[in-house]
Amino acid sequence: MTTERRIVIDVKHLTVSYQAKPALLDVSVQIESDQLVGVIGPNGAGKSTFIKAVLGFVKPDLGTVQINGKSAQKAKGEVAYVPQRGAVDWDFPITVKEVALMGRYQQIPWYTTPGSNDYDAAFSALEMVRMQDFAERQIGELSGGQQQRVFLARALAQGSDILLLDEPFAGVDAATERAILDVLERAKQNGKTLVVVHHDLSTAAEYFDKLILIKQRMYAFGIPQMVLNEELLSNVYEGRLRIFSDIIKKGDT
Amino acid sequence: MYELFIAPLTETYFQKALIGGAIVAIVAGVVGCLVVLKRMAFLGDALSHAMIAGVAGGYLVMKLLFGAEAHAPGMLLGSLIAAIATVALISFVSRISRVKEDTAIGIMYTGIFALGVVVVSIFRHYIHIDLMHFIMGDVLGVADSDLWVSAFVAAIVLSILIIFFRHFQLATFDPVMAASIGLPVLLIDYVLTTCVSLVVVSAVSMVGVILVVGLLITPAATAYLLSDRLDRMMWLAALFGVTSVVGGLYLCVWLDSAGGGAIMLFCTLQFLVVLAVAPKYGLFARWMRLRNLVPQQVIEDILTTILRYKKTTPLEIVQQYVHSGKEITRALQRMTQDGLITGSDKGYTLTENGEKEANKVLRAHRLWEAYLEKIGTPEEQLHPTAHKLEHISDEKTVDYLDEKLGTRGRDPHGQTIP
Repeated sequence: MTTERRIVIDVKHLTVSYQAKPALLDVSVQIESDQLVGVIGPNGAGKSTFIKAVLGFVKPDLGTVQINGKSAQKAKGEVAYVPQRGAVDWDFPITVKEVALMGRYQQIPWYTTPGSNDYDAAFSALEMVRMQDFAERQIGELSGGQQQRVFLARALAQGSDILLLDEPFAGVDAATERAILDVLERAKQNGKTLVVVHHDLSTAAEYFDKLILIKQRMYAFGIPQMVLNEELLSNVYEGRLRIFSDIIKKGDT
Repeated sequence: MYELFIAPLTETYFQKALIGGAIVAIVAGVVGCLVVLKRMAFLGDALSHAMIAGVAGGYLVMKLLFGAEAHAPGMLLGSLIAAIATVALISFVSRISRVKEDTAIGIMYTGIFALGVVVVSIFRHYIHIDLMHFIMGDVLGVADSDLWVSAFVAAIVLSILIIFFRHFQLATFDPVMAASIGLPVLLIDYVLTTCVSLVVVSAVSMVGVILVVGLLITPAATAYLLSDRLDRMMWLAALFGVTSVVGGLYLCVWLDSAGGGAIMLFCTLQFLVVLAVAPKYGLFARWMRLRNLVPQQVIEDILTTILRYKKTTPLEIVQQYVHSGKEITRALQRMTQDGLITGSDKGYTLTENGEKEANKVLRAHRLWEAYLEKIGTPEEQLHPTAHKLEHISDEKTVDYLDEKLGTRGRDPHGQTIP
């Protein structure tokens, strides 16, 4: 595994602006395969713009985003997206199995219905996240961690090698956070690259192989010990040093 | 019996009303599911009102340019254009200005409705439109042309929805994912809005401006209470639409009332009945669930009672200390199921798990007591207040209290804090 790692997401000089204000400024990142990468930064730092750029939704003012060597706009479906829990309508009349099946929609031509191989793929994705027993449940009946896993299964069923997760740990308890992390680790071992938007600096060092620290421009990209240093963080988060000394200690261990 | 049920069926007007109403109700119900799930209910309202400008416009153009009086296809096309223009204006205003979408809808549809009313009244010598008919509809006077138009619209809209079911489902449920796999989300939205406009336009002459919204929303909402899958919700919504029309029409004949009104009244009653008795999302089911819920507080009180009693606790002792009446029996059952206690004919004993839980509550209780004493609570209030507060026993709170008190081993009554 440690030999040749491919570069799967290649962002070069990415600059995106909204009404003359830069949301991202000259961000260059090369994410290699088989890694768990955390994207950190304060609110309004451009994390969601970064996600949109990787999904190919925004047209950069300057720079390129390449997914597996293709421009992001052309690489539709090669990045599987796991939404924030708050962005989902949990009362929607849909079962766990149907959500997982959605991962296959891109492969199904519009004139046919999902075939047995699609159902098999959806089901084995559910098995991977250990949610097969809940297949017939409506999604609102699940706990927070289970809900997160269902959407992870959908991303896995999509067959993409790159998974993009928007704050998967927001609003779940510690035990659930562990369970989700386990699933992410397993996906990584199965050759997936996971890019995770993360809020909690205190766990960032422990969870991720590499971190991207952004606030409009990219402040750091690399292993946690390097990114979580006091000077950088106080720069990006503007003061509040006391909190960070703790985190940095954790990063060193 | 014959008089009540069969006799109306032999009347042509009743047959036409039944067929026309059923067609409109089916397609409105199915489209309505997406409208309800996308929270666009207000949009149906807007479309149906805005139509009058289109009807008047179509009427005028056909009359002044071609000399055709009350040319139905012209008016239909006009109302469709008006409906789509309204939607375009709404999204334009809400996108470029500070005004949010619901406000934009309110502004645009009343504005366009007003335009229609003004035009109709200015040209009252040319245009012979009965505004009352437009608002109330006339389901009992369905013309053959209305039937054909609604059947045609229903066929088109249903085909689109069936063929592209997955696309609509995904774009409604998770537009970001839909866009990420390359679905044209915006186009899908426009197609849906056009479908809604078509349905509204084709149904207005039968049930009227106000009731068409009900036919769009209410059967779908009724179905929503009964199903956890979109395809089933659509089937049910269509079914509820048809039952509303059938039930409403009989009601209208029996009571000799307005047709459209009777249909919607029946439809609403149907919704209320389902709301009451739906097995999962109904009010009765919710009430039953709440009734069967054993409050955590009672469970914790039972645990500590048994813990303090130290040996097998007879039911009377539990009842003496836990003031909760009827819930105790149910709580004891539940706790036995959950493996917190074991029961015999002598009484109840804590399992290992139960003892752990009980100690947690006891620890919280004694820590709260110590804390209350520290902040100067009068002694006689210590125990009762702590008894209420002990249920706030999550780890963080308890650790905070412990830390704040400087990790002491005893509570105010000199008992050890576990």
